[in-house]
Amino acid sequence: MLILKNITKTFPGTKALDDVCLSFQNGEIHALLGENGAGKSTLINIICGIYPNYEGTVILDDKVLKLRSYQDALETGISIVNQEIQTIPDSTVAENIMLDKLERFQKWGRLNWKELNNKALEYIKMVHLDLEPGVKVGPLSTAQKQLIQIAKALASETPVLLLDEPTSALTEHETATLFTLLRELREKGKNLIFVSHKLDEIFALCDKVSVIRDGRWIGTDKIQNLDREGIIKMMIGRETSDEYLGVLEPDRDTVVLEVKDLFLKNKVNHTSFQLKKGEILGFYGLVGSGRTELAKVLIGEDRYQSGEVFVNGEKVIIRSMSEALKKYGIGYVSENRKEEGLILDFSVETNIGLTIWDKIRGKISRKISRTKEDKIVLPLIDRLKIKIASPQQEVSSLSGGNQQKVSIGKWLAADCDILIVDEPTIGVDIGAKEYIHDLIWDLAKNKGKSIILISSDLPEMLKLSRRIMVFQNQNIMGTLDDLTGEPKNNDEVSLKIGGLMI
Amino acid sequence: MKNAGEAALEKVELSGKRSTPIKSMLGRRETGIVVPALLLFVFFSLFSDSFLTQYNMFNISRNLSFYIFIALGQAVVIAIGGMNLSVGAIGGLSTIAVGHILVNMGLPGSVAITVGLLTGITAGFLNGIIITKLKLNPFIVTLSTSFLFTGLVYGISKGYPYTDIPKSFTYVGRKSFLGFPIVFWMLIIILFALYYLYRHTVLGRRLLATGGNENAARLSGINTDRMIILANVLSGFFASMTGVLYVSRMGSAQPATGQNWMVTSFAVAIIGGTSLDGGIISSIGLFAGGVIMVLIKNGLILMEANVYFEQAFLGMIILFTVSLDSIKDLLKVLKNRNSED
Repeated sequence: MLILKNITKTFPGTKALDDVCLSFQNGEIHALLGENGAGKSTLINIICGIYPNYEGTVILDDKVLKLRSYQDALETGISIVNQEIQTIPDSTVAENIMLDKLERFQKWGRLNWKELNNKALEYIKMVHLDLEPGVKVGPLSTAQKQLIQIAKALASETPVLLLDEPTSALTEHETATLFTLLRELREKGKNLIFVSHKLDEIFALCDKVSVIRDGRWIGTDKIQNLDREGIIKMMIGRETSDEYLGVLEPDRDTVVLEVKDLFLKNKVNHTSFQLKKGEILGFYGLVGSGRTELAKVLIGEDRYQSGEVFVNGEKVIIRSMSEALKKYGIGYVSENRKEEGLILDFSVETNIGLTIWDKIRGKISRKISRTKEDKIVLPLIDRLKIKIASPQQEVSSLSGGNQQKVSIGKWLAADCDILIVDEPTIGVDIGAKEYIHDLIWDLAKNKGKSIILISSDLPEMLKLSRRIMVFQNQNIMGTLDDLTGEPKNNDEVSLKIGGLMI
Repeated sequence: MKNAGEAALEKVELSGKRSTPIKSMLGRRETGIVVPALLLFVFFSLFSDSFLTQYNMFNISRNLSFYIFIALGQAVVIAIGGMNLSVGAIGGLSTIAVGHILVNMGLPGSVAITVGLLTGITAGFLNGIIITKLKLNPFIVTLSTSFLFTGLVYGISKGYPYTDIPKSFTYVGRKSFLGFPIVFWMLIIILFALYYLYRHTVLGRRLLATGGNENAARLSGINTDRMIILANVLSGFFASMTGVLYVSRMGSAQPATGQNWMVTSFAVAIIGGTSLDGGIISSIGLFAGGVIMVLIKNGLILMEANVYFEQAFLGMIILFTVSLDSIKDLLKVLKNRNSED
């Protein structure tokens, strides 16, 4: 049994955890829930020895733990599957799985590859991967890499296993396989701690749920005693608003963006579609199914080999994001805010202002007008409810949800007519997620902007889009038109989408 | 909405980040470099009689200017997340171009200066084009071109210096204005111009954004390739400007000019607070970095220390400055640990 007693953790200026008490039993899958910034990550980092300094005690099987590093945690019997993929591309699958215990396979100063591969194969099979242990990890899919990470944690054979959003890169089928495996581990008496934003998964898998909010423990209960609304209420401290957003009335006669037979080898396979003014067009599919690939071609990041693109009826060739923005008013919110969306060491104001400097500089002095920048950026910070002490605060110090708001805010500042939003709520808590949804809806409904929404989150897709294109293996499997978005129809639409994706 | 904006504006003023210059000055990166530079200056003034003499000050400010000119060629590319190992070779090439035009061709100084600077600009452009269009690492590109340029230097000059430089050409490099060398005034103007560029103009902010995160900058509509090329052109320009000024100062064009610039350029740029990760450059920091560099060289001679150890001192100072942040973090962890136990 793992017990956390009166854990308090302060960072300069904030109390990340305040007197948290929790216990995790062996033979149980225990869900740890909370919004971004609630203190979940801090708690996980303390359990894993990554934050060695905190108040309170961590007890594992009657022993007080004093972990100094993750290495310590592993030796004590705690391992973690990280949300972010951390595999080494040029090493083999077996090496990646056994990375922290390679010395065990060493004989006379030489690595015994055969023994290493045999041992790794056991765990490869355990996660139902169909891979040779000797192949390199680099070219594998994100899902395969995630499964390798899970295999790596399993190979540590620790009694306590933390899983931090392990399914974010997995297909439904792979998720189901993983859940079977986790249930098996539960039968073997392992102590499993499961972190996820997807409530469906929690209900399908977990035995117990603990919720933290604003660094405090809110409650723990058996899953049988809880329902969806109850959990959400515990997490955000209030009820969620009605999921139904209403009717969207796009201008059906005005096509702002049209794509005809676009082709780029291995990325876009002879795709055609139209985007109408004031519409939210959904690109639904898994990571790697060709949605982001198509978006990257549209903004000029990649060049297509054949086909045609029309903006407002005019045939265009877009060579770069800079052209897309300046000539055609197209914006792109990246799915990867840390690598492609934000300059982490720069201030919130600079990050949002990035797209508008051209418009606010002096003609002769070439100087950026700070007052004009403030006039555009500060109301946006306010409107987006980004929680900061000052606009000069570095983006790296913000929570995931607030970072995502900054990443979107940049394009609101640019006032694009066509906005491509790629996984706008990935890794974002429920409160911020709802807010971002309202924002996208408002842009289309009230401001007449045209939006392409790329998402693998089906409820999000059903809530916002009234026309959904379903992607799989770079192909468009079908398009669902004239959706009402009413929650009562959602099951039927989900079934249809499922039918398209066989 | 307007009211909300005004409220936000008020909040900024309340938080005070912009309104108290002293506090913001203390919190700045450069302060960590300016203070040691000042301390060194005071130290040498107190312990050496010949330090504060007019002759020594003239010398120091001229050497300082040259060190910073060399560093500028490096700092502008480090700030966009790159590097230029060919600064010295470009400087050498411009030196030889100037010598060749003045001595062998007998053309006027204005032509020599123009061609000298164009040489550097072209060389920088070449570096930038190869880095962006062939998508190659700046390390390997500029390492290769440094051999290319150095080869040209010795091919054209055959290893001999050009010594018959007209006396009029040495005016800028040797004379002074208001008690300070002309090159020092040039330095001040250039540092001010750079401050304005990086702090206030769209171009400067875009250069820094490219250094901060190239992907994010490109996907925000910044033409990052153009920024990288431009920074390399700027780097070539500063290298060649320094080369031309060296001819003016020495009264001869030496093929060996630039051979030791690479280390100096990195040293002053890094001590001056230019972030090796890109995204940060500071005029004040570069100035202080140059002061530290020149005082170590000058001070060691005045103190009659063993000057052969000079490089060892420099190495230690560079290591110390780059590890400053890590040392701070380590101290913090140790402090926490002690208070806990």
